[in-house]
Amino acid sequence: MTEATFFTAAFILYVLSALCYLAFQFSRKEGAAAAGLAAAFAGLVVHAVALVLRTFQSGHAPFTNMYESLSFLAWAVVLALIIVEWRFKVPKAGAYVMLIAIAVMALASSPLMPKEAAPLVPALQSYWLWLHVSVTLLGEAFFAVAFVTSIMYMRAKDPEKREKMDSVSYRCVSIGFPLFTLGGLVFGMVWAEKAWGTYWSWDPKEVWSLITWFVFALYLHTRIVMGWKGKRSAIIAILGFLAALFTFFGVNYLLSGLHSYA
Amino acid sequence: MKRIIRFFSSVKLAIVLIILLVVASIIGTLIPQGRDMAEYEARYGRMGAPLVRLQLTDVYRSVWFLSILGLFGLNIVACTLTRLGGKVRRAGHPRVESDPKELAGYKIKDKFRIGGGDKGGGKGGSGDAEKAKTLVAEALKAAHYKVRAAGNHLHGRRRIDGIFGSDIVHLGLLVIIAGGILTGLAGFKTDVALNPGETRDVPRGGFAVRLERFDTEMYTNGGVKDWKSTVTVVEGGRDVRTQVIEVNHPLVHKGFSLYQMAYGQNWEAATLELRIGRKAGGAGAAEAAASDAAAAKTVKAKVGEIVRLGDPEMTEILVRQFIPDFLLGENNQPESRSLNPNNPAAYVEVRRGGKKIAEGWVFAAYPEITRLRGEAAPEMTIDFLDLDAPQYSVLQAAKDPGVLLIWLGCLLVMAGLFLAFYRPTWEIRMVVGAAGAADGSAAAGAEAGKVEITAGGIAAKNRDRFEAEFARVMDELRSAK
Repeated sequence: MTEATFFTAAFILYVLSALCYLAFQFSRKEGAAAAGLAAAFAGLVVHAVALVLRTFQSGHAPFTNMYESLSFLAWAVVLALIIVEWRFKVPKAGAYVMLIAIAVMALASSPLMPKEAAPLVPALQSYWLWLHVSVTLLGEAFFAVAFVTSIMYMRAKDPEKREKMDSVSYRCVSIGFPLFTLGGLVFGMVWAEKAWGTYWSWDPKEVWSLITWFVFALYLHTRIVMGWKGKRSAIIAILGFLAALFTFFGVNYLLSGLHSYA
Repeated sequence: MKRIIRFFSSVKLAIVLIILLVVASIIGTLIPQGRDMAEYEARYGRMGAPLVRLQLTDVYRSVWFLSILGLFGLNIVACTLTRLGGKVRRAGHPRVESDPKELAGYKIKDKFRIGGGDKGGGKGGSGDAEKAKTLVAEALKAAHYKVRAAGNHLHGRRRIDGIFGSDIVHLGLLVIIAGGILTGLAGFKTDVALNPGETRDVPRGGFAVRLERFDTEMYTNGGVKDWKSTVTVVEGGRDVRTQVIEVNHPLVHKGFSLYQMAYGQNWEAATLELRIGRKAGGAGAAEAAASDAAAAKTVKAKVGEIVRLGDPEMTEILVRQFIPDFLLGENNQPESRSLNPNNPAAYVEVRRGGKKIAEGWVFAAYPEITRLRGEAAPEMTIDFLDLDAPQYSVLQAAKDPGVLLIWLGCLLVMAGLFLAFYRPTWEIRMVVGAAGAADGSAAAGAEAGKVEITAGGIAAKNRDRFEAEFARVMDELRSAK
């Protein structure tokens, strides 16, 4: 049993989960949503085995190239969904969040992503790799859930559902924001100071992390101080996630800088 | 003055400034920063010069970007200070009295009657109200609320530290900005390149470093695993300490951090591997080849070093000159295009008995263009087989007094975020009064002896969890007799 086997098994379970959640969307049967959650959880466990195997096989943290980072991001998104489901009970968001996880998994397994575990370049040989990347991606996973619930808010007609989606978006941001601040910015600065000799170099990835942070800071200030809610909040949360997405992908493929590994 | 303060303490200003910072930052990542004028002209044509003049090519150090950042700092100071006084007052001396009408307007609220019945019926309302008050206070305390009372008003509050979370975040941001300014003003960074065995002063450091050895460790697939510089700190001529510096493991000494930054090969001290052989003459080919192989000698030589071949004729060779990247420049003078060994060439002399018998340029990459001159040239071949050079290490010495402030600021930001998001302040206000006393409802008389409780709750965050807790406390009180 190799990492690839578990990865594929997790992928299948995620697809099953999405199908169950989709069935729930149409049938409104609680059982379907419960099955979706169970499949997502089973997928999460199997996927975790894949990540652990990868770690043992490569001898380093399982997020040092695009394939690994995407695989971990998908795992984090599913974890975030399960936490949100458990705390705030939004089964209607399940299908869309799982679709995001599936898309990320599919992208990871596409032939464009080199999968072989390359030995670590000197700059990445640090325990800060674990802390910086895992906490950042977990924060971004919550932004992904906020993105989904914000879009659902925009599309929903039922005022009760809108209220719920608005509140869940906010709760996701309030979990994601501290995680992103800690992992992306604070741990990033500490590591940069150790590896590059300067905590901030205005590298495009750093700048885009800061932009993402600013957008969510805007979300929180307009909401908490100025009382913005609903549509305007949802738009900012969507923009924030897109900024996070660009930080993750766009900077690597469109801009050049120090963060050339993943 | 008031207007200025009001301007700087407005959240709207904060929002405008954040948007400006975002836009400026995006521009800074789209236009390559800090390049040559020529590159911008090549890339943007006539737009190149204006871009440079507007500092769009060095956004993060530009006057206008730093001005926005400065305004942002002032904005944070003003916002925090103008709100802090009220918060401190609210924390220490909260308003205990509440108007029942105000409570009726809360989103989270309740109204019910407790007590009364057979026990307190005969004694009149005030005793019941006191009893109810104690009951309510006990229930709030049991739910970890700090209770304050005034007359028939009760005020319960949980986790007051939460309201200061945002102020601590803002203080942290200011400390980070201060750290950044200190880095910009007092930070110092320089490269120190060292050959093995070499000692150099760290500029402004008051100490020197000697490179004991430099190792490049490789993976089996050819990738670099690690660069390790073994460095001794020398102070006043005395060795103080020796440490291995590698990527991610800087050496810290006297406020300076020394990082493994780069490495290179010192081609000026290259060792060349040359093979001196005899050309096949007119004799039988096989015989000649055999004797060639026997006669060919491979030697290693450095520039300026005379090396004996060890043959009976006592032949010596001398590498006069070595050029790592050979190029014929103006006037057909050989020069080096770069410091990298892209086209290594050596000027070699062959001597016998103190007499030069052959000389010429030999090329490692192009053996066919080697031309030798001299009396022995026609019968001699020289092949430039290989070359190697000692590696040198480039360390970056950096002193940055701003770093400590940055870490302090980060700590404050994280602590503040934790307080703001995970220690939300919850408040429950209650008015305990004889039934109907507050709103004069007709039901008042019907349930004499019962005490009416009007309650309202406020949660800055985590409202749904607060709502559940509020309902639980109210249910407890309802069922209390």
